[in-house]
Parts: sequence; C-alpha cells; structure tokens
Amino acid sequence: MPEIALTAWQILLVKVLVILTIVPVGALAGGYAEHKVMAHLQHRLGPMYPGGFHGWATTLADGLKFLYKEDIVPDAADRKVFSLAPAAIFVPVLMIYLVIPIDRNLIVEDLDVGIFYLLAVGSISTIGVLMAGWSSANKYALIGALRSAAQLIAYELPIVLSAAVVAMYAGSLSVIDIVEKQNFPFAIWPPGIGLIAFLVFTTGAVAEMTRVPFDMPVAESEIITGPFTEYTGMRYIFSHMFAEMGHMVAFAGIGVTLFLGGYKPIIPWSPLEVVPGVIWFGLKFALMIFLFLWIRPTFPRVREDQLQKFAWKFLIPVSLVLVLAMGAWVLYV
Amino acid sequence: MAVDERKLSDARKLSDARKSGFGLGLLKGMAVTLKHLFKHNTVIQYPDEKQDLPPRTRGVIALKEENCTVCMLCARECPDWCIYIDSHKETLPPKRAGGRPRKRNVLDRFAIDYSLCMYCGICVEVCPYDALFWSREFEYSEYDIRQLTHEKERLADWMTTVLPPPELEQGADLPGQPAAAAASATVEATGARPANLTSSAVEARPEQAATAPREGSFTTEPARPASSLPPQEQKRETSPEDAQPAPGLDTEVKAAQGLPGATTQPEPEVTLGAGRAAESVTQPADTAQVGSDATSAPEGQPPQKTPSVAAEPAVTAAEPVSQAGLRNLGGQAPVARPSTEPAGVAEDPEAAYRRVLQEQASRGSSPQVAEARAKVARVKAERGMARTATPAPATAPVQSAPQATPTEPEPSGAPEAQGPAPEPGPVAPTADEDRTDG
Ligand code: SF4
Ligand code: SF4
Repeated sequence: MPEIALTAWQILLVKVLVILTIVPVGALAGGYAEHKVMAHLQHRLGPMYPGGFHGWATTLADGLKFLYKEDIVPDAADRKVFSLAPAAIFVPVLMIYLVIPIDRNLIVEDLDVGIFYLLAVGSISTIGVLMAGWSSANKYALIGALRSAAQLIAYELPIVLSAAVVAMYAGSLSVIDIVEKQNFPFAIWPPGIGLIAFLVFTTGAVAEMTRVPFDMPVAESEIITGPFTEYTGMRYIFSHMFAEMGHMVAFAGIGVTLFLGGYKPIIPWSPLEVVPGVIWFGLKFALMIFLFLWIRPTFPRVREDQLQKFAWKFLIPVSLVLVLAMGAWVLYV
Repeated sequence: MAVDERKLSDARKLSDARKSGFGLGLLKGMAVTLKHLFKHNTVIQYPDEKQDLPPRTRGVIALKEENCTVCMLCARECPDWCIYIDSHKETLPPKRAGGRPRKRNVLDRFAIDYSLCMYCGICVEVCPYDALFWSREFEYSEYDIRQLTHEKERLADWMTTVLPPPELEQGADLPGQPAAAAASATVEATGARPANLTSSAVEARPEQAATAPREGSFTTEPARPASSLPPQEQKRETSPEDAQPAPGLDTEVKAAQGLPGATTQPEPEVTLGAGRAAESVTQPADTAQVGSDATSAPEGQPPQKTPSVAAEPAVTAAEPVSQAGLRNLGGQAPVARPSTEPAGVAEDPEAAYRRVLQEQASRGSSPQVAEARAKVARVKAERGMARTATPAPATAPVQSAPQATPTEPEPSGAPEAQGPAPEPGPVAPTADEDRTDG
C-alpha cells in the first residue's frame, strides 16, 4: 500500500469533512428512527410511503421540502443576530463530535481535557437559543429562550457532576483513558454509584436536548416552537431539527463513552475482541438512542416549575452525593 | 354502590402505587410502551388495503327509485334538511268509462346533499316503502362541494352496491310456505324482467308506438321519468281483465309485462343502459340470470334504460282504454315469461356457496360482496328456495355531476337546492384551482 503523505492540515480537513457529513446524515437517520420507533411504541406504523420501503426517505424528503421554503426574517427582528443564531446553535453540536471515540484510533482529537471540552462545548448552543429567542421580537420566542436557558443551567449541573463521577473513577479527563479504565459490568461498576450516575446523566441529557418530558422551551401547545417560532426553511431545520437530532446523537455517543464502555466488547471475553470496536460502539450507541426515543412517547411533559424543582431539589443533590460516594470509593477501595 | 367501590379501589391502587417506590411508575410506563413495540400492528394502510367493513356500514344512501312514492317523509324527518325532493302530480284518465280521473305523484328530483348529511340514518328508517338503503361505499369525496349533492340517478346507481339482507338467524321462523313460493316467484319474475322487457320492447313496441300513441291523452310531459311510478299505482293500473297466466305473480311482474315502457329513463344513458341491457339479454331467461335477490334490487335499473323508443307511449298503452294495445301486449308478454317453476331446484348448499363465490369473483365483485351473496345462496339452497343469480357489480362509472333535472318541478318545500349545473362563482374555486392550490 503506497504511503499517502498528508500534512496535518490535510488530515484535519478530511476529518472535519467527515464530521460535516456524518452529522447531517446522522440527524436524518436519527429523525427517521425517531419517526419509526415512536410510531411502533405507540402502536402505529409511522411513515410508510416516501422512498418506497417503509418510508425510508421521509426525513430526506422533509429536509428537501425545507430547502425550498422561503427564508423569512420578521421586520422587527434583529436581523444580524437572527440570522447568526442557527449557526451559533448548530456549530457547537458539530464540535461535540470531535472527541467521541468510535474506536481506539477513530477519534478526531483525543484531547487531554476531553470531558471538560465535551461539557463546555455542549452548552454553547444555549447561547444560540437565547440569541434566536431575543432577536425574534416575538414573545413566545423570548419565553422559550428564557425557559431554555433556565433549563440548561439546571440540568447542566447533574450532567457535569455525573461526568465528574466517571472522571474520578478513571482518574483522567481524556475520553480514551476513561473508556480503557471501565470494567465489565459497565454502567454499574462501582456498585450502585455507576448505575445512578448513568440514570442522572440520561435524565440530564434528555433535558438538555429539550426533548419530552422536558420540552418546556418548545412546548408547542403553549409557546408554539419557543425560540424557533419565527424561523423558516433551512434556518429552522438547522436550529431546531438538526440541532435536536445532532444533540441526541452526540449525547448518545457521550453516554456510551462515559458509562457503557465505549468501543469495548460488552463482555470481556477474548474471542469477542475480534469484532471491531466500531461495531460494539454502534450497538451500544443504538441502544442509547433507543432509550432516548423510548422515553419520548412514554411520558407526558412536565410543568416548568416541576421541571426546575426536579433538577434543583432532586437531581443535583443526588449527583452531589454520588460525587462524595465516588470520592470515598476511590480513596478507600 | 358499584361506583363507590370502583372509586375506592382506584384510590387504593393510587396509594399502593405511591407506596410502591420511587420511579416504579415510570418503569411501568416504559414497560407499557415497550410491549406495544412488539405487539402485532393492526394499522390498515388505507388506500392500499381496505378494511372489511361491517355489512351495515353507513357509507352512502342508495335510492330505489321505483319504490319511492314521493311521500316526503324522509325529507321532513331529515334533521339536516338535506334531502331535496321535487315532484309533480299527474292526472290519469279514469280506468273505466265514467270513472274518476286519478292523480299520481311523479318524482322529478331526489337529491341528498352529502355535504350536510350526518349519516344518522333516519331517512332510511323512516321510509315506509323501502326506497332508501344503506350502502357500504364511502369513497365519493369531491373537489367541489357542490358535487356532493347526489341527484337521483347517482343515488340509484348506488343501489348496485347495496348488500343483500343478512341471513336469517339460526332458528328464526321461516317465511310461510305459500308466501315463500310467491316471494321466490316474484324474485324470479323480476329477475327475468330484462329478458322479458327487452324482447317485448323489441317486438311489441313498434306497433305499440303506432297504435297507441297519445290515446289516453293525459297530461304527462313527454320525457317524464316514468320509472318513478310507485308500485301501488302500477298495480292499480293493471286492470283485472289482463290475462295473467301465473296467478301467484304479484305487482312487480305485472309491472314488468304491463308497463314495460313505464320504466324508461328520460336520459339516454347509452353506455350504462345499453351495456347492461345487452348483458341481460344474453342471459337465459329460464334461469333468470339477471335479476337479483329481491332487495339488492338493481333489477329496476338496467331494463329501464333499454333504448325503447316507444317508451312514453307505452304508458298510455298500459291504460285499459287502449284495449288493442293491451291485447297486443298480452299476446307478447307470456312468450318471454320466466318459468315460474316452483321453488326447490335443490342444490347442495356448499356447492351453491362455492359456485356463487366463483361467479362473483369472475364478475369482479369485491370479496365482501361476493361472500355475502354466496352466503345468501347457501342459505337459500339449504332451505330449498330457488335462487336467482346475483347482479354484477356496477361497472359503469358513477356520474358525479348533478344531472339537469327534468321538467318544471312543483315547489315542494325544499329550499333552492344547488343549481344543477354548477357555475363557478366568483367565490367558489373550481376544482382545478383547488388542486393547484393544494
Ligand atoms: S342520513 Fe343524512 S339524509 Fe338521511 S336523515 Fe340523516 S342527515 Fe338526512
Ligand atoms: S324515499 Fe321513501 S320516505 Fe322518501 S319520499 Fe320516497 S317513499 Fe317517501
């Protein structure tokens, strides 16, 4: 095989291009999975016609439809901020993908501060949401944006603390190190602590994605689409659809990495090592996505005050206790 | 009491659930949705698959026009006032010299506006003369709301989709024997009517037209929808002097022979009528292939549309005044008379079932209709009743446009119904515009 000499910049370019294609494709596939899984959970069939076979092209057709829509900016809107907001929402989602290890060597950059980066970048989107809500000159958008910001602050903490639990256990912030340190009963070990941390993380992730049951910011029955009320066409799908789907895919990846043993086989048994890590990662990833999709048609939306109460009075104390427990475990076990 | 207990048990369940532990309710909910993921999905992909609708489905209302006496009960009872009936009175000359002239209602327009109808079924229930029936067809949406007013031709076309009545329940009283014989004879006779009619129409009509025109000179319009003659009237019209070879035959048979022309439609529906007529002629008369079960009854339509030029004079011919015409008829009709052989050409019920099923399948009936008819055939075979073959489904497209209603209608209390010919007004979009807007 001839050596292909690539400069660091060229490699970076290729990686970025790959991410840039993976995310929209993943979002489309995720959207389709969402349609179908939710439909079957609710005893329906979901889309059946677009594309012929079980409606596989539904989200593609949806996306194309949005492409053709007129791009409308309200008169009273703050034009510049309004048009920049979708980018501010979507680009951070792309950046999350940089540090998710799909296999031992399949990672864009193994940063030393991997988890820190993940959590930091994952929260930037909220600024975009605030921009969108504020610049739309629409009361629904503003209410939605403020709800979104409040929710982010409330649920970012449990996520950060549960990730900190994992980092303490692994003794490193690098995602590769974390995966390598995890042992067989993933997500459970150390006993109890791991499982609860996983549940806390999942709950926080669902809230961060503003998905049901924590979708007050976009609660369509009261505030239309929240911050995205005034958006149309491509801006709408980038700021809402792609961002939500991209977030879901990213959080599924983070969950697999931090709690489910990433690219490692599900059982530490040497014959299973033959199967490439990508496949293990894919399996766990699908499981994680399914969990998110499963939650959505099952639960009703919680009220705004319940949502805040749940975070501050329950999730955050629990995760603080978890941090304490993990500290004790690391010190004394 | 029961309510209280239920309330109590609900409360108990609730408190149990609260006690059962934090988050268990959430898990239960997840289990419920997960169960549904693996359950067999019962969704019916509608345009591709169709549901097997129950036989009594309220799809569309069909009008058996010749049964309607213009009694107006349906229009009055309709809660939505969406039945429009126009009629006029005709004076018929007295039957015998010195008698009293008689009056008769003739249906000019019968329309149901399905954009108003709420499918309550009151009109079907209330009709004393079995002129309205439910059909299971439900796919008659239109681009223009005005097209949802079905005029009587279209309502009559729906008759072909009306299912035969359900089988008698097991252990139900069988119809009395003489009555059964008469009934089956009627069925056969009506079944054979097409053959009868067409032959007599072909042979007898010309002279008829020549001899009998305008003899009665009563005040009928030239192109009157004469098929709206109510059966009772028909019965009265046929004078007792008519030589009736088969005493068991009742009104419909008489109507068939005595008033063949009386059942002619004014509209020259060439394709529909001619097609069906041709089909009916080819059927052997003795097996009475063309008719139907007594009530599914599209038998009225096809023959009525046979292209007999002498249609209108024939009405007069039926009047006793024109004795020559009558004798003429009397001589002609028995030739094509159906063999009213007594019921009981015994056939194995299962064989009958299968045969009818195949027969229906080859005619392109829907599976449900085919099965229903086959079941009827089986029951009839079991009870030794002669069976008339079942009608072919309507192959002709149903006209959707309201027909121009004939003749000056008497104002009959119906509000100004939608104009028969819809002109696109400034407000209402045409069908085309609708589509492009889509
Ligand atoms: S079914 Fe329709 S037409 Fe008949 S009475 Fe009810 S509303 Fe009137
Ligand atoms: S359809 Fe029945 S109820 Fe209505 S006018 Fe005719 S006979 Fe009377």
